[in-house]
Amino acid sequence: MTKPLLSIRDLKVEFSTRYGHVTALNGIDLDLLPGETLGIVGESGCGKSITALTTMGLIPDPPGRIAGGRIVFDGEDITQADARRLRSLRGAEISMIFQEPMTSLNPVFTAGDQIAEAIMLHQSANRAEADRMAVELLRTVGIPEPERRAQSFPHELSGGMRQRVMIAIAISCRPRILIADEPTTALDVTVQAQIFDLMRDIQQQFGVAIMLITHDMGAIAEMADRVAVMYAGRIVEKGSADAILDNPLHPYTRGLIGCIPVLGKEAGQEGRMPPLAEIPGIVPPLHLLGQGCAFADRCPLAFDRCRTESPMLKGDVHKVACFAAEMEAA
Amino acid sequence: MTTETLLDVRGLSVRFAMPRKSLFGQRPVLHAVRDVSFSLRPGRTLGLVGESGSGKTTAAMATIRLAAAHTGSVLFNGIDLLKLDAEAMRQQRRHLQVIFQDPYSSLNPRERVGAIVREPLDLMMPDSSKSDREKRVRELFGLVGLRPDQMALFPHQFSGGQRQRVSIARALATNPRLIVCDEPVSALDVAIQAQILNLLRRLQDDYGLSYLFISHDLGVVQFICDDIAVMYLGQIVEFADRPTLFSRPRHPYTAALLSAAPSLARRKSAGYVREGAVKGDPPSPLNVPVGCAFASRCPRVQSKCRDERPVLHHNAHSAVACHYPLD
Amino acid sequence: MSTIEPAIGGGVPEPVSPLREAWTVYRRNAPAVFGTLLLFAIVAFVLYGTFIYKGDPYEIVWAPQTPPGVEATVPLGTDNLGRDLLRGLLKGGGPTLAVGAAAAIITLVIGILLGGIAGYFGGWIDDLLMRITEFFQVLPALLFAMVVITLFSPSTITTSIAIGVVLWPQTARLTRAEFLKIRELEYVMAARSIGARNGRIMWKVILPNALPPLIVSATLTVGVAILFQAGLSFLGLDDPNTMSWGLMIGTNRQYILDAWWPVTFPGVAIFLTVFAVSLVGDGLNDAFNPKLRER
Repeated sequence: MTKPLLSIRDLKVEFSTRYGHVTALNGIDLDLLPGETLGIVGESGCGKSITALTTMGLIPDPPGRIAGGRIVFDGEDITQADARRLRSLRGAEISMIFQEPMTSLNPVFTAGDQIAEAIMLHQSANRAEADRMAVELLRTVGIPEPERRAQSFPHELSGGMRQRVMIAIAISCRPRILIADEPTTALDVTVQAQIFDLMRDIQQQFGVAIMLITHDMGAIAEMADRVAVMYAGRIVEKGSADAILDNPLHPYTRGLIGCIPVLGKEAGQEGRMPPLAEIPGIVPPLHLLGQGCAFADRCPLAFDRCRTESPMLKGDVHKVACFAAEMEAA
Repeated sequence: MTTETLLDVRGLSVRFAMPRKSLFGQRPVLHAVRDVSFSLRPGRTLGLVGESGSGKTTAAMATIRLAAAHTGSVLFNGIDLLKLDAEAMRQQRRHLQVIFQDPYSSLNPRERVGAIVREPLDLMMPDSSKSDREKRVRELFGLVGLRPDQMALFPHQFSGGQRQRVSIARALATNPRLIVCDEPVSALDVAIQAQILNLLRRLQDDYGLSYLFISHDLGVVQFICDDIAVMYLGQIVEFADRPTLFSRPRHPYTAALLSAAPSLARRKSAGYVREGAVKGDPPSPLNVPVGCAFASRCPRVQSKCRDERPVLHHNAHSAVACHYPLD
Repeated sequence: MSTIEPAIGGGVPEPVSPLREAWTVYRRNAPAVFGTLLLFAIVAFVLYGTFIYKGDPYEIVWAPQTPPGVEATVPLGTDNLGRDLLRGLLKGGGPTLAVGAAAAIITLVIGILLGGIAGYFGGWIDDLLMRITEFFQVLPALLFAMVVITLFSPSTITTSIAIGVVLWPQTARLTRAEFLKIRELEYVMAARSIGARNGRIMWKVILPNALPPLIVSATLTVGVAILFQAGLSFLGLDDPNTMSWGLMIGTNRQYILDAWWPVTFPGVAIFLTVFAVSLVGDGLNDAFNPKLRER
């Protein structure tokens, strides 16, 4: 098996809130292999964005705090790294694109300036070289007339173009890991498709490993090699994208897939489509989590043990944390 | 199936005058909706689909006069809403309700949810007794899956899905004929979306409601709509019933939307490559092209498309505004 | 902020109105609580002076310019005419606070009315009302107030009106901005969609949601108005027959080099009042600002 580029082991992150300490991430194990796309999927509040921010060394401390575990990048535990080392990793080795391309670009500088700035921060390039590289990067991310667009300010660009500029900044230093936190949520569907296609091109071209954070199972199908499903700060199921989509084991994963009205062949048929599967209730607030499985209250298969004991992630390649699934398999 | 028409919109246009760019310059005009016509039968759902800037929300809001129409007519039950005076229009509002997109901003934060649901009754049925109205509010809470003992709470004490239920209860209060659903699930988590979509469909079955359903999400549209109008830059480019639209899209833009929409069947593992993808962004509605609005992004574009604007042509199953439609 | 889900069951939480949430935040804010207590103390002192205490502040009771702490019957000393300073503070507080409160109310009423109409209707109505507002805003405030007071003879009422008239444009602009922001929100559209008329939307839907910043601004206006009145008294433009803290400063200012206390005590009283009111205003601002609530 290939050696992972990034491996997260037993990561615990706590936040102090007005309800006291809450555990936002509770024992996360993840591996990101070179050149692959790992999808992290779940509803809002499940901890997927916090996983990304922690990996970037960007959780606000306080109120956040890494309470345990390791994040090993290329043999180095970056939870132990100091602020300076983290800065040199961010952008150069691990970079990130965010959900909202309007607010993540600085409105008073041109697109070209912001890319050149990122280049000069991590590479020994002078201004003229950096400007030239910025135009090349804009061409790489598929922006028409890159020379002219480099002079544009963010408000003069459409949402899709802004996200392309963000991607250009993110790949400016040839990082080995790209973390994409809901990169297309704010975009229209045709533009979302363009950004996904661009991300796949870039992955092929540069061999970058992508951690894709999303709530959208369709995006997972199109983009991911492997998937981790998160719920209430834990990973509840993990495996190849095909295994998760075709043979989901955790009732939460099954619910997530069943409740989405994705396009299918039924649409072309006469008559009504069958009702969607429902997951009752909502994700419980973290401060109300008790012992036992966090999903038990919403789970159609829950039994006594689920309410008293928290299931561990078990399995060889396709892993699941669920007592009911264990019994099914046995 | 009945053939009567509940809502018949003809030639609807909406324009917005934008601020002047220079002191003595002309005010630029934004053509948000251009010559849109559609009709809706009782008990059915018509989807208005499109991306941001397509004018779908503006078209729906102009239909029920929450936005001002420039030209056109809106026949609702045979009455032209656009010709009514303010008071007569106000009286019609009991038959026309709206469910808004953002459950966090569509409920007044200073009112108790019971009062929010009761407000349409206070306004439209002031002659009924207060206890009758309270009784109706209790009944509505039950219908949408809320508990009557939650009536005294304030909106911020509810989750997004619950607030959307409050919004639905408010829309149902006066027994309307038509409900405009403006992206009612796009702000919700996926698992909550399913709860709300199922609820909307159940209520439609039980009360014979008609929905004008605005969405950018083809998955949602496929689930809830009977007929679908695809909008692009203020115009309807294709109109068809659901099976026809999804199995045989004829406008290249509809095809592009379908190929862009996420689907569980398109797998990276199977080496999926998108077909019919479109480039670039839509043109600005401030500066509408002479020919087909989609020409700049269309994979099948020809010179005629840039010069001549296509109009909707009907065939047996659908209508499409394209010089060279797909078959 | 907890949420509830019937599917999961459990009890129904207490209704928590936005006002009650704000109060929870407010009472955890030490400076605001201190300001409130201080304000209560000042108001109690002034109420006692106005309604219970019977002394005449104009009566000459002891030797002129007696320093504080020398004579037990005049603990704070006397002014240049030999009038008791403590009586002055007790009797002068009422008109001072009344002017502050009345000016703030006048400001709120004019400001909300004009700002609300301008912000809600927009278009030429907005243009017209905002030009009027700007006209009042560019007038030299003190000069304009002086003119108003000179035209109508000085009294607590004219002073309040004069100050209210020069201070309302700020409130009008703030109200307009709030109305402009809130009228775009979906719950306002929702009110229209269920057939609410303009009046109901403006005053029953938008205004309650626009009030918090207006209340904060009104509290601060109280402080500004009290200072303004002190300024007018200092210039001799106050009713000499109504004792007020500003008047005390105004009449004693010439002798400040001979006796510091006749000016200092009313000055401290004004300072404490404005300070307390600002603390309350800041506290309200924090309490109404939802972003600070989770702290």
